[in-house]
Amino acid sequence: MPLTMATLGEVSTIKRIGGKEETRRFLETLGFVVGAEVILIAKNNGNVIVNIKDSRVAISQEMATKIMI
Amino acid sequence: MSLTIALAGNPNCGKTTLFNALTGSNQFVGNWPGVTVEKKEGRLKGHKDIIITDLPGIYSLSPYTLEEVVARNYLLNANPDAILNIVDGTNLERNLYLSTQLMELGIPVVMAVNMMDIVEKKGDQVHIQELEKNLGCPVLEISALKGTNVMKAAEKAIQVAHAKRSVPIHKFDAEVEETLEQIEEQLTGVAKEQRRFFAIKLFERDDKIGEQLSFSVDVENLITKLEDKMDDDSESIITNERYTYISSIIEKCCTRNSKGKLTVSDKIDQIVTNRFLALPIFAVIMGFVYYISISTVGTMATDWTNDVLFGEIVPNAVDNFLNAINCADWLASLIQDGIIAGVGAVLGFVPQMLVLFFFLAILESCGYMARIAFIMDRIFRKFGLSGKSFIPMLIGTGCGVPGVMASRTIENDRDRKMTIMTTTFIPCSAKLPIIALIAGALFQGAWWVAPSAYFVGVAAIIISGIILKKTQMFSGDPAPFVMELPAYHMPTVSNVLRSMWERGWSFIKKAGTIILLSSILVWFTSNVGIVDGHIGMVSDLSDGFLAKIGSGIAWIFAPLGWGDWKAAVAALTGLVAKENVVQTFGVLFGFLEVAEDGQDYWGTLASSYTPLAAYSFLVFNLLCAPCFAAIGAIRREMNNGKWTWFAIGYQCVFAYAVSLCIYQIGTLMTGGGFGVFTAVAFAVLAFIIYMLVRPYKQAHTLRVNIKSVKS
Repeated sequence: MPLTMATLGEVSTIKRIGGKEETRRFLETLGFVVGAEVILIAKNNGNVIVNIKDSRVAISQEMATKIMI
Repeated sequence: MSLTIALAGNPNCGKTTLFNALTGSNQFVGNWPGVTVEKKEGRLKGHKDIIITDLPGIYSLSPYTLEEVVARNYLLNANPDAILNIVDGTNLERNLYLSTQLMELGIPVVMAVNMMDIVEKKGDQVHIQELEKNLGCPVLEISALKGTNVMKAAEKAIQVAHAKRSVPIHKFDAEVEETLEQIEEQLTGVAKEQRRFFAIKLFERDDKIGEQLSFSVDVENLITKLEDKMDDDSESIITNERYTYISSIIEKCCTRNSKGKLTVSDKIDQIVTNRFLALPIFAVIMGFVYYISISTVGTMATDWTNDVLFGEIVPNAVDNFLNAINCADWLASLIQDGIIAGVGAVLGFVPQMLVLFFFLAILESCGYMARIAFIMDRIFRKFGLSGKSFIPMLIGTGCGVPGVMASRTIENDRDRKMTIMTTTFIPCSAKLPIIALIAGALFQGAWWVAPSAYFVGVAAIIISGIILKKTQMFSGDPAPFVMELPAYHMPTVSNVLRSMWERGWSFIKKAGTIILLSSILVWFTSNVGIVDGHIGMVSDLSDGFLAKIGSGIAWIFAPLGWGDWKAAVAALTGLVAKENVVQTFGVLFGFLEVAEDGQDYWGTLASSYTPLAAYSFLVFNLLCAPCFAAIGAIRREMNNGKWTWFAIGYQCVFAYAVSLCIYQIGTLMTGGGFGVFTAVAFAVLAFIIYMLVRPYKQAHTLRVNIKSVKS
């Protein structure tokens, strides 16, 4: 399911990342690779904040729906 | 021999703090990614021959953002003697991703693990020896904030720079290594230690790397062969290899007890970015900041400087002094009516500025700024901008120049250009005096004038966003918002005061230089004119040269309600610096003469314009082309003359159109007659509304395209 539907505070594993290549590359450098663990910290109208590799990253809805967990 | 040491690391890991500690300089440190947008140089304390370069924070050496391009080009072309790689100890895994790339450059690397105090507080451990062993470079624990070990890190970097030993590098999967070796074999024209970096970049099909090579290499066959074999694209192969390598060593290098637990920052984020509370909290915080700095503390201090310091104390003292030395009348007039009136009118706003800068610095250094971008993203997206556009605008409330520069963190070219064009609509600190002047002189200090100025600024951004987005140039979806949010921390007193002082000082400096000069110029040109056929002092300012020039252009502004020469000249001098608008009024309406009999020049001003005309004047000055410094910044960031002129032209036309509508329609509604320009105003209004609501054709075709690609 997409990252936007994850439960707050729960640890999940990334299965697949879609979306535009440029953004996907940037997400990869931030640690969003297949197999990485993410925790959903906050949701705001579809935009999400997640904890990945000990850092917090904010992602807009358009992109978050393309990250599958 | 002089040496160059480059500071490189992820955004917000403490590079600038370390830079300040090493060089003793005073760069502002903010707590949001992208504070440093350009490289900065300084000399190491106690070592005159060592140059330290502070690079913008980057996540990788792939050119995704402008900052990454700046940092990468510097590392490749300027060839520093050593790299001091600053690594955030609380976030080791992600930070090592960049480290693995830095080590491939063939430049000696020293790693400094920063924020160790926070690591220890969380109960985690970083094993320095293990890191050293696994990465093959010297590693030190430092605290940039407290200054622990920073000199040692620099000395270590000097040592490795002299030793010039090649760095043993991590290896990837055997198959990948094989292909990389084959590519390296073709790179005979590249220095030996840089070959691996170029090989990897060529393998990733990095399009900007070709420009760096003097010869062309064809490695496409090798790449596709491996891609087919591994069933992945080349860039992802490398990224995965890097993270696999890091995961394989991270367990040995770092023991984490806090894993899976939410940090304090996470908990704060759960509240302040909460879907119900986020906007109210934001509104309360910003309201508080502007209420304190503009309405209460700031006004009290500003009133005192305006009425007492520059109204009585300074003029009286200067008056006594000038009388005592028997100064010539014209010189006394220049000093009193020209310099003190002009510069004083501007300096009076310094206290207000300082309070505002103080709060902005706190917001920047505690980490809330990045959250604002996140909160605003959903709203900004509705009119075609990304949440990241909000940071330049917020910085722009202080000064448009850093505001425009902050737009660099926006990756998408269209979004960035649009942000640059609209950022200066937000009233900057130099426009505050204009707002305060109009509010005080013509609206008896009504509470709603200042907030309405900000409202006009935001509305201008929204309207421009929608209109521009629907033109051919800017069509297309804004790039998805992806941004790292830094950990919250208490701002340090020295950092906040430093930032406040730096910005305040540049404001004061401007008053002492540009504004002083233009005060003198305005005084001369307004007091000198043609008297009885030859050039001389005029008794009435409206006979002076400035009045003649002003009258020449005043007709342009007549439809806006302020077609007299004084206002026209004020708007014109505002191009030099926006404070000049107030300064010019100060000189032309005589700050002092009236101040002596207990009143200030506000009274004279009030009798010269109707409130509606004054408001139209205010709106025009808020929205029209910014000062020369900001235009210069726009030119630099656009990096294109045509775009710069388009931006400036758009701002001026837009300002004129809005002011026209306000004045003409306002006049009609308050019982004025219906004239030619009223009709023009309605036509302009209709045009703006048409531009706002016309269908967005581009989006439709774009959506179709995406669908067809997907299927």
